[in-house]
Amino acid sequence: MVVLIAAVAMFDSRAAFSPSAGTAPGDVGARWYPFWAASIMGVASVIVGYRALTTPQGAEGAFEGSRSLFAVLKLAVPMFAYALLIGGIKWRTTDFTYTVIPPFGFYLSTALYMGLFAWWLGRYKVWWVGAIAVAFPIVIFAVFELGFRVSLPKSFLYETGILPF
Amino acid sequence: MEVFGDLAGGFATALHPINMAMLFVAVVLGLVIGVLPGLGGTSGVAILLPITVFIAHGSLPGSDATTAIIFLAGIYWGALFGGVITSILFNIPGEPWAVVLLFDGFPLAKRLGKPGLALSSSFVSSFLGALVSTILFTFFALPIALKALEFGPAELFAVFLLSFATLIGLGAEAPMKSVAMLALGLLLAAVGFDTITGEQRLNFGQVSLLSGIGFVPVTIGLFGIGEILASAEEQGIGFVENIPARLGLTDVFEALRELRKRLRLVLSNAIIGFFFGVLPGHGATAASFLGYGLARQYSSNKENFGKGEISGIMGPQAAADSAGVASLVPMITLGIPGSPTSAVIMAGLFIWGLQPGPVLFIQHPDFVWGLIASIYLGHLLTFILCLLAVPLLAMIMRVPYAIITPFIVVISIIGSYSLNNSMLDVFITVVFGLIGYWLRKMKYPLAPLVVALVLGDSTERELRKALIAGHGSPLYFFNSALSTVLIVAAVVLVLIPLVRTIRARRRGAAQAAVAHP
Repeated sequence: MVVLIAAVAMFDSRAAFSPSAGTAPGDVGARWYPFWAASIMGVASVIVGYRALTTPQGAEGAFEGSRSLFAVLKLAVPMFAYALLIGGIKWRTTDFTYTVIPPFGFYLSTALYMGLFAWWLGRYKVWWVGAIAVAFPIVIFAVFELGFRVSLPKSFLYETGILPF
Repeated sequence: MEVFGDLAGGFATALHPINMAMLFVAVVLGLVIGVLPGLGGTSGVAILLPITVFIAHGSLPGSDATTAIIFLAGIYWGALFGGVITSILFNIPGEPWAVVLLFDGFPLAKRLGKPGLALSSSFVSSFLGALVSTILFTFFALPIALKALEFGPAELFAVFLLSFATLIGLGAEAPMKSVAMLALGLLLAAVGFDTITGEQRLNFGQVSLLSGIGFVPVTIGLFGIGEILASAEEQGIGFVENIPARLGLTDVFEALRELRKRLRLVLSNAIIGFFFGVLPGHGATAASFLGYGLARQYSSNKENFGKGEISGIMGPQAAADSAGVASLVPMITLGIPGSPTSAVIMAGLFIWGLQPGPVLFIQHPDFVWGLIASIYLGHLLTFILCLLAVPLLAMIMRVPYAIITPFIVVISIIGSYSLNNSMLDVFITVVFGLIGYWLRKMKYPLAPLVVALVLGDSTERELRKALIAGHGSPLYFFNSALSTVLIVAAVVLVLIPLVRTIRARRRGAAQAAVAHP
């Protein structure tokens, strides 16, 4: 129950903070419309929040036990990592740009990502994991790069000429 | 009749080899998407939308924007049919509009041992429902569009207002949540350059936000990733049931005989589904529940419902498919999406460089009529494929979770990246995936958010044009009879849930008073 109320309140505050962006109601200019959209949203979510606080809730909370939360995290965390890996991470200071993670590009990241799932969640044998990790990027390359002529992000090894992708 | 000439031209366009080939691919993809429980029709259309950009610009020989819309719409038709297969055979709905089939479709397949009859009843009624709806579409589209051409900013704004009001007034979720989602959509649409003055707003100094928050990455996130996360939580339920199915001709003939007994129900549900689907924001899911309710209401043997009654399959299916087709009508004729899926298709039109709405009929008649003709062909194709390929489609359910889930994530990320070659879009997709999952969990409706996001710019533009024309006076909206009527209707629709709540409270108070005098 506490989890659920906290969740609604969190959602609420996130919604209520946004009107600060359009605080110039004045004449019907560029700011007028987003301001009112934001205010309507703020008022509506306050009402929703009030209702959620005043109506009795079930005691089980937002997640049915830690198992389902874990199931979601198992998917969400690798997804973030995957997205970060494609583009790499750069740390910019005023005079230097440090490369924390070099861009792995789309194909290498996909191989790692699909392989991770096959190994970790699927518990497949090693050669199956390898086959999946190799086969999917190749099929995607054939369909998108050759078929639709979509250029997907390449890895740091592509820039140095070691790998063709 | 002019319509028949236009339609014949449409068939000539739709029957082009490339268009037929893409329709076939789309329908197969749609069926697969429909069968997969973690992926819905809206997500499928959103994820594949970026690919259509390359189709529309002629990456494939002979393809153009008409090919692209035939492709996108074909996915939707496939998903409308495919979602029911898993409901009937596995007791797991593949799509939200297939949930009602759990009531009677699964019992007919399991308890009465007639999976073939259950499936073919569903397919024949879907097909008939869609056919009725497409015929209505053919005859209604042009008159509505021609009328809409006379609209000024005041009328257009009133139409937008009315469509937002239906989302609030007739929505299934709490009305205040719909309001909040609607406003969030309008707000997100406002990010970037202001369309009238060119002023920057809501970008917090970020150059990358100046062009606005893209509709496509947001929708892929909300629907594609959001649904995957939501279904990850439900994993572990596993397959409860698994009925082997093979469709024979005898099943189809039996279904046709059953259909003849229920022809009035199916036809009337199809017509009701059409008008329900035209209303913004509902589409097939709401219509399927309405269709089930109607089938039960007017049945002579109500006690059979829930035990495998065929009317409980045919009624909702006819209404759902009819509404699915009908949700494209306001999108094509007025530029207002009738369902989240048609909102995504409408975003496609913008990206291909077309302006949805009445002008489409004048400037690109081949596009509109090609689409309409492809709806006939697409449903015929889907129907035939369904009858032939049910065992194959049922096998898709056995593709392991550890492969299919990351694969959908990969395809989603390709989709959001390839539109603008932007990693920012990829992160928007991932973040909105989490937001979409959370909104689902908190029971916030996604339809108002998506519709408002796609209509936000036009709504603001027409509102401000009208205010400029009226020298800032809101009375300008009441100069024309049509816009007055529409605005009054919108206000009434918003008030419906309020009145309902007050009434329910009063009744509750009265009952309490009776109980404790």
